[in-house]
Amino acid sequence: MSNIALNRLQRECKEVVTNSEISETGIMIEILNENLTEIKGHIRGPPDTPYAGGMFDLDIKIPEQYPFSPPNVKFCTKIWHPNVSSQTGVICLDILKDQWAASLTLRTVLLSIQALMCTPEPKDPQDAVVAKQYMDKPAVFKATAEFWTVKFAKGHLDVNKEYQTRVDKLKDMGVREEEAISVLSCNNWDINRATVYIFS
Amino acid sequence: MSSSSSQTKAPNEEPTSSSNKPNADETARFECNICLDAAKDAVVSLCGHLFCWPCLSQWLDTRPNNQVCPVCKSAIDGSKVVPIYGRGGDSADPRSKIPPRPKGTRSEPPPQSFGGFNWGDGLNGPNVHFSFGIGIFPLSFVASFFGNGNANNAENGQNGAGAQQQGGSSRADGTAPGSRMAGEEEYLANIFKYVGIFLLVWLLFV
Repeated sequence: MSNIALNRLQRECKEVVTNSEISETGIMIEILNENLTEIKGHIRGPPDTPYAGGMFDLDIKIPEQYPFSPPNVKFCTKIWHPNVSSQTGVICLDILKDQWAASLTLRTVLLSIQALMCTPEPKDPQDAVVAKQYMDKPAVFKATAEFWTVKFAKGHLDVNKEYQTRVDKLKDMGVREEEAISVLSCNNWDINRATVYIFS
Repeated sequence: MSSSSSQTKAPNEEPTSSSNKPNADETARFECNICLDAAKDAVVSLCGHLFCWPCLSQWLDTRPNNQVCPVCKSAIDGSKVVPIYGRGGDSADPRSKIPPRPKGTRSEPPPQSFGGFNWGDGLNGPNVHFSFGIGIFPLSFVASFFGNGNANNAENGQNGAGAQQQGGSSRADGTAPGSRMAGEEEYLANIFKYVGIFLLVWLLFV
């Protein structure tokens, strides 16, 4: 990595660590290796969203050409969101692709992702299943996203009892919990369709 | 960015921090928007954003068909950025691979009003400013036709006397020969020359 990138990353990390806004915005970073090519980001779920109360972790990989090409950012906490793959955590966000600008920093990227969590863009989805649910059944989407937040992002809300019993039923059939949640979510929590999907 | 800086600045704007005490915010204003370090070989885009020339040049090189400002995404042109010359800098060796930083453009102040005679205003001391403008419509072309050759002579003659002449038709001295502006001026001068010849012929024969 070039010298400019290393210097810049050190400044960016300092900016995120020392910025007084952190307690308000709820973004954090954690440095994983010394040459700063792998960084872990944390975003607190914004209030008044289904993600409220959760803590979401992100993998940030800094490419060789940084800051002239964007960092690779994906969720490693599972999240139910139209613009994030529910399987891989890949994020669909223009500034991480063609709209990247060299003046953007780790801080602005994390803030943008947090803004995306507040306002999903179902018309430009990463996960078509989630986007369809968001448009057609907003109530189910909200409940599902909250359930995922409680299950995977250490959310403090009470777990949805009805959904949990359905997950437990599938678990009794020998399905891993994570897979059970994923398949049920994709089938709008219809346990019959989920069973057919898994065992066919 | 502006919102965060205004937030962080707010507590510093109390009377305790005066201009003689540069704080972190003070220096941050002159950081390159790409490397986030103090700008070296500083240039500013027409949209007003500050960069190191090497940083901006590399940014524009990485996306040749999408030349936008990294901050505000307005269209920018690598040759139309304004270099900033501070005091005492510029001794650095020209870096081999990076294209040279574009030159600043100078333009002459606008010519003074028609027929104005300024006899030594207080600022310039005893210097005499003498200017003549463009006359009545067809004659002005004639004047500019003949003016080209005479203006140079007149200038040469008057330089010794310390008088400054600003002829309506004399070429702006600031343009470098061979630059685009010089080319345009040449072209305009030629057009006026032909129009002048045409009008002379028309006046004589009609």
